Amino acid sequence: MSAGAPESPITVVGNPGHRRLVGFDAAARAAGLPAPRVVAWQDVLRGAEPGYAAGPVRIDSPGEDATVHALLGGPADPHRVEGGAARHAAFRRGLRRVRSAVAATPGAWLVNDPDDIAVMFDKPRAHERLRAAGVAVPPGLAADGRGVAVRSYAELRELMRSSRRPRVFVKPAHGSSASGVLALETSGARVQATTSVELVRTGSDLALFNSLRVRAYRAEADVATLVDALCVDGVHVETWLPKLTLDGLAVDLRVLVVAGRATHVVARGSRTPMTNLHLGNARVDVDAVRRAVGSVAWDEALATCVRAAGCFPRTLHVGVDLLFAVDRRRHAVGEVNAFGDLLPGVLHRGRDTWGEQVRALMAGWRPPETSAAAGRETPDGEQLPCPT
Amino acid sequence: MAIYHYLENFGGLPVADLRPPESEEVSAVPGKQPEQGTRGAPTPPYGSAPDDHPADAVAWRLRRRHWEDDPELTDLYDHFVANVDTTRVTALIVGAWDVDLSQPNPLIERLIRDADRFPALRRLFLGDAVQEEAEISWIGIGPWTEVLEAFPSLEELVIRGSENALQDPTAAAAPAPPPVRHEHLRRLRFESGGLSARIVRAVGLSDLPALESLELWLGVRDYDGDTTVDDLAELLSGTRVPGLRHLGLMNSEIQDEIAAALASAAVTARLESLDLSMGTLGNEGGEALLQGQPLGHLRKLTIDHHFLDDPVAERLRDSLRASGVAVEISRRESGRGIRGYRYVEVAE
Repeated sequence: MSAGAPESPITVVGNPGHRRLVGFDAAARAAGLPAPRVVAWQDVLRGAEPGYAAGPVRIDSPGEDATVHALLGGPADPHRVEGGAARHAAFRRGLRRVRSAVAATPGAWLVNDPDDIAVMFDKPRAHERLRAAGVAVPPGLAADGRGVAVRSYAELRELMRSSRRPRVFVKPAHGSSASGVLALETSGARVQATTSVELVRTGSDLALFNSLRVRAYRAEADVATLVDALCVDGVHVETWLPKLTLDGLAVDLRVLVVAGRATHVVARGSRTPMTNLHLGNARVDVDAVRRAVGSVAWDEALATCVRAAGCFPRTLHVGVDLLFAVDRRRHAVGEVNAFGDLLPGVLHRGRDTWGEQVRALMAGWRPPETSAAAGRETPDGEQLPCPT
Repeated sequence: MAIYHYLENFGGLPVADLRPPESEEVSAVPGKQPEQGTRGAPTPPYGSAPDDHPADAVAWRLRRRHWEDDPELTDLYDHFVANVDTTRVTALIVGAWDVDLSQPNPLIERLIRDADRFPALRRLFLGDAVQEEAEISWIGIGPWTEVLEAFPSLEELVIRGSENALQDPTAAAAPAPPPVRHEHLRRLRFESGGLSARIVRAVGLSDLPALESLELWLGVRDYDGDTTVDDLAELLSGTRVPGLRHLGLMNSEIQDEIAAALASAAVTARLESLDLSMGTLGNEGGEALLQGQPLGHLRKLTIDHHFLDDPVAERLRDSLRASGVAVEISRRESGRGIRGYRYVEVAE
């Protein structure tokens, strides 16, 4: 192994005690590695100078931690939707600090790239990067399918009319999971927004809360208020491509790509336009999806996931949200998630998502700039691009 | 709840999606032809070319597939009539025709104009779209009475959607559909989250001497389903449907009132099968069925999705099974629904 490969402890930037770190810690130990060192996001965001060490530095999610949430800014209530732009800016400042500190530490190197992560948390930029690479994504509102900046509900409706896209998803540009996402349907004077967002008016004050219940808003005034409130922090708008339906559910895939290979796959089914599992949706049998689309379409879809991940080449792992079209023939990449590896209980060749990353690091994965080892065959010599 | 299934069979025939012209469609990636069957499950054929099946061996489905480079449905239809022997087609399904299915379905007009090219057509399904494509209450119905008039030999017509009259003032201002007389229609079904009263009245006033099976998903008032029991009066008299053997008055938020009306309706005595599924049927409706005219002549009573308490459901089962009726009553819906109300199965 090259110098700096995981004989040196891996450092993880994350929230100590979070199940993500617990999972990765267990995977590293199980592989015989020393326990990973942890740099707390709250220290990074406070501007402390946490000590990094030689070896890989893996950046994990800053989510689900009250202290970190407060440090990122925006409304104090973690269920509030607003504040995405401010939190994203603070997150990027934190990512830059990590990059600088790692660069200043001899022998330390980044397992996932701060710029890649920042782009993945900026949906318009991420979609543009994928489109430019020829990865199918749901079209935006421009005539050629590019995304268009939308600043208000009125502007959105006009764009939907002129582009003949009456059904769209409106997503906070910097959101994650289903937070703040609207599935918007329009027809003439009729409008309906399906969302997990709860719109709360208190006097003249307005607040958006993420809830666990998906609801429909049908009054245009409510829909306009929702969209205008989301636009404050920036939105990404894309065509609602009708998804594959199977056994009474609309289905999409989360595909983890590690070191250029599709490894862990979860199929998610929903009776609402949102498939995120925390919204009461269910995992669906992956083999049933594979049978439904056939092995050729399946292999191509996973190859697309690998190409989507390839748009973020200096990052070891990404979680690709892949949707098959309702005709079961085509597919598109909905999102690429920087921290899309929280798939507890899902195994690939006996390894969980963290074990897969540990294995890739032990096999010598390095970001392309720093080592010729990147992209080489892994020791078990599998030739297929998508082993799952 | 909404619809997440496409038809796989129609009229006893397997459904074949017509593949767009010039589409290889073995690959999800345009222009790429991967090797098939190298491992894993075989890849199902991606739609059917016109000569893949004898024209009368499948139910042909034409639908728009929502991808940017897909042909318009009218172009797919042109391809269909040019390359399939339509004189032998017996079953046809129209799926999504637009990104906005409340827009008029252009194939209805084409089919009416081309009716003489389909002399063998016996079964027609309009609106085979799933929730991911359109809410059922946003699918437009179109001029269904004109379809019946254009196809006098049709034996089965299924229409999914709504008139959208409550949402679209121009639809409400349009003339109500006229009653029709059709000598051969045996099966008629409207699948709707809200079936307007004027459609129900038009069905009731239509002379359908061959009709054996009628199912109406009445839906909810919020989605145009403003049918009252009075609007069902003609239908429940049964005078214009002398051959009716199966009646489904379903998916209604006035399911109790409908059950009570059926308990004293003239048509009930002639039925072999009654379906009160998908609606808000509760104890009131269950008691009405128990205390109304005898139902022991039925071969089958179906109540799937309901709010009957167990003892009432049990009394219904016991009393009718004693008469030899096949009773299918599902478990009571356990959900409370939005605001704690009972809910129909398909509304959106």
